[in-house]
Amino acid sequence: MENLQLAQLGAGIAIGFGAIGAGLGIGVATKGLMDAVSRQPEVAGKAFGFFLLGAALAEACALYAFVIAFLLLGK
Amino acid sequence: MEHWLYTFSVAGHSFTVNLDTIFTMWFAMICLIIFAFIATRNLSVVPGKLQAFCEKVMSFFWGVMDTMMPADNKQHVPLVASLFLFILFANLMGQLPLRIIHIKQGELASPTNDINMTAAMAIIVLIYYVGAGLLKKGPKFFLHDFSFVSIVMALVELLEMVTRPLSLAIRLFANIFAGEILVSIALAASAYFAPLPVMLFEILVAFIQATVFMMLTIAYVGSATGEEH
Repeated sequence: MENLQLAQLGAGIAIGFGAIGAGLGIGVATKGLMDAVSRQPEVAGKAFGFFLLGAALAEACALYAFVIAFLLLGK
Repeated sequence: MEHWLYTFSVAGHSFTVNLDTIFTMWFAMICLIIFAFIATRNLSVVPGKLQAFCEKVMSFFWGVMDTMMPADNKQHVPLVASLFLFILFANLMGQLPLRIIHIKQGELASPTNDINMTAAMAIIVLIYYVGAGLLKKGPKFFLHDFSFVSIVMALVELLEMVTRPLSLAIRLFANIFAGEILVSIALAASAYFAPLPVMLFEILVAFIQATVFMMLTIAYVGSATGEEH
């Protein structure tokens, strides 16, 4: 294969595997939010703020993969 | 996504600056400075609408500092608050229709879609928390005592000095950059209504990323100046 095709394959693999981790992380965070809210419905607003923070931190891992994929495509 | 590069040379070394980033950065800073200037004129004991809003904002910062850093935290509010407000203004600027101003190369978007901008802010945070730790603890900031465990921990902390700014810079940059690519993909699909939900999501991301940067800054400063490492 040509170098460009290999780079495109690598970009796809990179973003795919990166998204697995971020998806798992956000899923675990959502599970924690649901547990907390169903146990104590009055903390819903406060817990949602912390959930957004944690989800943003987990999502960043997929975005590192995205940057690598974009660097691969740019070459 | 490409930038307007301008290359000049000083004493044999060539430097490249991204002019569009500098322009949008100064735009965000001027908005913030004018807002702060107007808000701090004619302060009164009974606050008007603008003053009440600004007091809410400041008490938000003080509340966050009180929850994240137990003692002696008011001195760090200026850095944290200005980082948060600047990143928020800069991220939100990406949703303004600045792209209708044509420049030579690239386009005007939010300045945080340039990794040089976010890396500069992350390095400022690094210098600030190392300096705060040194002021608070002196040389004990690096090494508590001579034992095997603390020497290993000191090496790990040296490694963290590289990885913390790196992750701060890349996290903010990648979020904004990915958002712009998402908007441009939606724009290619349908120019009229498809980008709207994505842009609404980007406004949410702007707030969240500014908060994340601020929280991590507070956590780093807190762990550098706190009693326990």
